[in-house]
Amino acid sequence: MPDELKVVGHSVPRVDGPAKVTGRAPYALDLTVPGMVHGIAVRSERAHARIVSIDVEAAEAAPEVLAVVTAASVAPLDVRFGHVARDHPALACDRVMYHGEPVALVVARTPRAAARAARLVRVHYDELDAVIDAETALQDDAPLLHPDRVAPLGDAGLDAGAADLTGNLCAESTVGWGDVDTAMAAADLVVEGEYRYPMLYGYAMEPYNAIASFEEGTLVVHSTAQHPYMVREDLARMFGLPLARVRVVVPYVGGGYGTKSYTKVEPLAALGAWVTGHPVRVALSVEEAMLTTRSDGAHIRARSGFAADGTLLAREFDVVMDSGAYTDNSPVVCAKLANRCFGPYRVPAVRVRVRSVFTNTVPASSLRGFGAPQGALAGELQMDEAAQRLSIDPVDLRLRNVVAPGEEILPRKRGIDADLAEDLRMLTGSLGWGGPSAPGTGIGFGLTASDAGAHPTSVAMVRLHADGSASAAVGATELGQGSRTVLSQIVAECLGLPFDRVAILAADTGATPYERTTGASRTTTLVGRSLQAACADVRRRVREVAAEVAGVDASAVVDLPAGVSVGGERWDYAEVLSRWFGAGGELVGVGEVRRAGEFQAMPPFWEVGASGVVVDVDAETGVVSVLQLTTVGDVGIAINPVLVHGQDLGAATMGLGAALSEALVYDGEALANPNVVDYRVPRSSDVPDRLELLLVERRDGIGPFGAKGSGEGALNPIGSAVAAAVGRAIGVFPHELPLTPERVWRLAQERVGDVRT
Amino acid sequence: MLILSDFRLHRPASLADALLLRAELGDEGAVYAGGTELLLALKMGVLEYEHLIDIKRCPELRGVQQVDGTVRIGAATTHRDLETSPLLARLLPALAELERHVANIRVRAAGTIGGNLAFAEPHADPPAMLTALDARVELAGPAGVRELPVEDFVLGAYETALGDDELVTAVVVPVPPAGVRATYRKLATLERPTVGVAVMGEVAGDTFATAPAVVVGAVDERPLRVDATPLAGASVRDRDALEAVVEAARDLVDPVDDLSGSADYKRHLTGVVTRRALEHIVDPGSPS
Amino acid sequence: MSDTTTTAVTGRINGREQTLQIDNADLLLDVLRDLGLRGAKPSCEMEVCGACTVQLDGLPVSACTTLAAEIDGRDVETIEHLDADGTLHPVQEAFLRHSALQCGFCTPGMVMTAKALLEQDPDPSREDVVHWLEGSICRCTGYATIIDAVLDAAEVMRRAR
Ligand code: FES
Ligand code: FES
Repeated sequence: MPDELKVVGHSVPRVDGPAKVTGRAPYALDLTVPGMVHGIAVRSERAHARIVSIDVEAAEAAPEVLAVVTAASVAPLDVRFGHVARDHPALACDRVMYHGEPVALVVARTPRAAARAARLVRVHYDELDAVIDAETALQDDAPLLHPDRVAPLGDAGLDAGAADLTGNLCAESTVGWGDVDTAMAAADLVVEGEYRYPMLYGYAMEPYNAIASFEEGTLVVHSTAQHPYMVREDLARMFGLPLARVRVVVPYVGGGYGTKSYTKVEPLAALGAWVTGHPVRVALSVEEAMLTTRSDGAHIRARSGFAADGTLLAREFDVVMDSGAYTDNSPVVCAKLANRCFGPYRVPAVRVRVRSVFTNTVPASSLRGFGAPQGALAGELQMDEAAQRLSIDPVDLRLRNVVAPGEEILPRKRGIDADLAEDLRMLTGSLGWGGPSAPGTGIGFGLTASDAGAHPTSVAMVRLHADGSASAAVGATELGQGSRTVLSQIVAECLGLPFDRVAILAADTGATPYERTTGASRTTTLVGRSLQAACADVRRRVREVAAEVAGVDASAVVDLPAGVSVGGERWDYAEVLSRWFGAGGELVGVGEVRRAGEFQAMPPFWEVGASGVVVDVDAETGVVSVLQLTTVGDVGIAINPVLVHGQDLGAATMGLGAALSEALVYDGEALANPNVVDYRVPRSSDVPDRLELLLVERRDGIGPFGAKGSGEGALNPIGSAVAAAVGRAIGVFPHELPLTPERVWRLAQERVGDVRT
Repeated sequence: MLILSDFRLHRPASLADALLLRAELGDEGAVYAGGTELLLALKMGVLEYEHLIDIKRCPELRGVQQVDGTVRIGAATTHRDLETSPLLARLLPALAELERHVANIRVRAAGTIGGNLAFAEPHADPPAMLTALDARVELAGPAGVRELPVEDFVLGAYETALGDDELVTAVVVPVPPAGVRATYRKLATLERPTVGVAVMGEVAGDTFATAPAVVVGAVDERPLRVDATPLAGASVRDRDALEAVVEAARDLVDPVDDLSGSADYKRHLTGVVTRRALEHIVDPGSPS
Repeated sequence: MSDTTTTAVTGRINGREQTLQIDNADLLLDVLRDLGLRGAKPSCEMEVCGACTVQLDGLPVSACTTLAAEIDGRDVETIEHLDADGTLHPVQEAFLRHSALQCGFCTPGMVMTAKALLEQDPDPSREDVVHWLEGSICRCTGYATIIDAVLDAAEVMRRAR
């Protein structure tokens, strides 16, 4: 680490550590508001039906019940929300669109009274044909789920695809260049196959919850929201309030991983408060959380054409995403999947079509990786299959095609800000690729590149206090990724303060400045940059007032760590403030990042992934054990190396879950496994014995001190890497995740000794 | 949200009081022995009772004792107590080892052996092992005390021979004679065992003196005994004899498709786990 | 014999004897949280995740699936008690040293589970730790730092003895 950095680049302890190990860190679920009452949703028992009537009398008469809220009972409020298209009702209006959808909200003085009364609500349905499977939903005779399409809001910051949408298409994204058909015809080898990536539940351990109240005309919401400013917009629209009169506060959040992006239960709590006049908490169970948001499953048909020497000539992807009942964030995932599926390679001809499809299932939205893991399953596995069929080492095959630093992956986008060839060499070296391997074991690895950072809008504020300490107000939420720690490090570094003289305020749309989202690895990078700008601004103010107090030209005042030099004399911050204000006071600096200048080119940065595994397969039972995991964190600079390791291992472990055991399963029209007993996430015994979490710091990112993102990259190639490793162990490449013991056993049975296509 | 309905809670301090309550409440009362199964079922609304009889405070129902060539385990003894019982480790090491791998530590700390048997959840570990060990369930009721072999006690999924006015008071496990070993091997694709196979047999070198007891658990609604006569007097390395028993196990089970696997797969696994259990009892170093 | 759906219980919560009139249908987790002890968290509510772990007579239990009335005559310890004297427990210190947490939602349960292990077995192997933590889910960290922290705490505690 270059020694000019005092705080950045060091693994300072997490600022939230002591509060969290003592159990005192407040989560939304731990807050109480005086007079708070409780709302419980009555959920649909049909996948698709017209609501004939809702019989609420018995529930309303039950003890301690204050109200039963339905969409009809709050008219004329329009209860629909959505940041891409406003088509998702907080409470079903005239139709239910999936099994488990909220139909009514029972508000009572205790959660138990609400839950008991909820059982008394009778909903009469007129059943409609439902469609659970996305391929079926695309057929002409499929029931039409959104006959009255809601026009998209047209938020310019969203990469939401376009095209004329008909039938059950929720979104469609296409990417393409070159003459794919000619290139394929000329190819020496065309690898072709179908791949399936499951729909997943992120299982952030704190289920969605919110408390809402109306206080002096302002709607105040405490919630688990990852993107409080996006939630604010939805609530402002729903209740006809100006943005200034909606305050969304986010304390610590028990896990996000994208699952808490955008609006979830906040409207339910707010509607309850609007009707009853009391603060209302809505706290979901895990089962209800599983009925709230999942990730898009994907069925991918892919073809890749190669020359005999392994040069990629063309790639074609046709993807159907199962996006569930409402639009939510699926169009964005759809666009990202289209951008990410063909990989960080130089491909002369590309044709990608991704269709996001409505079905009568739990609505899909964001989850860590955002289309990249789905795409990589096909894209990377085809690299492995091609290597095998061309008898080329799969590392060499990738090296032949991988983009060089600065080279474009997507036309007119920012060139790649990473050295993937070098990352791949490190990765495969660590995995022992090319060395001897024990029977029944296999090595798999992959590369991905994600256009990350989302839309670069970020505003930050730094306040320099009278004692020379500083606090920063940013709208980024602390989901466990360590943002408060990392952002504190950045402020401390910029102002020359010791780390413990800096504090970061929790996200509060009423107090912290605008932050578009907390996701896509944008906090360290983009929020970090706006904070750097805010620090520079406050430093400028310090110089200005010091010069004025000293009666010298501003140019005679020079920055020092934690202070300035005024004509050779050191004044620390406290001294400057005390001379300027006489008593108390503070100086405020503001910084912005917006899509202009160096942030004009999209994406703001690339989040690359280079991960791999060594697995052991018990072919007789199909049980896969991961013996080694290696991740290469190509992060530009690790502002806090220990935290980056934590992100990489955590993300990769989540990837292992999707690779080996996680999948939401529909049995008929309802979820068959809406609980974490039957939806199996990785456990302590699933941690590989050998872990290599490598860091590459080339300072080649746009973030502070050259930082890029972390926290998704390590996950994105894992699914394909595990599939490749298992394929090498059993002699046939799997095309579908998760690789449950039964699936692996069946594949091993089918083994033909060659690559299945 | 998972909530319990209201109920009355009875906490008898003696077995006699507990039996009086059982007789009085009949099927309106549920026996609460550890709650790890019962409370889940109540929370999910699968079961509902007006009365719960907490038997954990009856001293007669706790503890592990050696009684005349048997180990007597009080019904309210927890899995954790069994996992750590020196007596069990000495006399029934395979059962102690099984107990160490029941569910997770919190379930082991609360759940009891009697509760486990009486709830008769098919996807459980102890019933198959207890069957293989020829264990008996001791039941007390108004008519006195009776004993039933475990395999006659468990009748099906969530179904036992326990009368509405009876309590499971103990599980009595004969201590196997010298030279007789036992083992339990399982495979879990989800939270609970998908297949568990218990074996007890007299082994000398790699040869079974007589046909071992082989019991398949967790696949069917109740543990099933596999006919292992082909292995009587045979070596475990006698492939034909071994495969005959494996085949018998596969043929015996009648699995259903569910989230933990298809019927085909479970049948196949039954064979694999049976073979591995038989190999393991002869050679404890063999792969599980 | 009880005539009502409540039960009077007297138990020790974090070292202090308390007499409470408990609703029979109350779960231990709800009662503790209502008492302001909110370190233990609800998550799966089905005994598989461990977020709600507290110690009952020294052993870890799922407070989400334990009747509150169980505390009668027994000793309940929650995460809030660990630093009651102003110093962190060695397990907590080790979690900080190893950065064995991210969102922290699982952390109180993990710490209580680990503490119970070290009380039962002061010298666990790595395999013992993994086995003991098998029923405690962490969705953020990938577990390795947690396992390291528990082993480290064990060593620190052994040396202090
Ligand atoms: S909430 Fe109790 S074990 Fe998960
Ligand atoms: S730190 Fe988030 S679940 Fe463990």
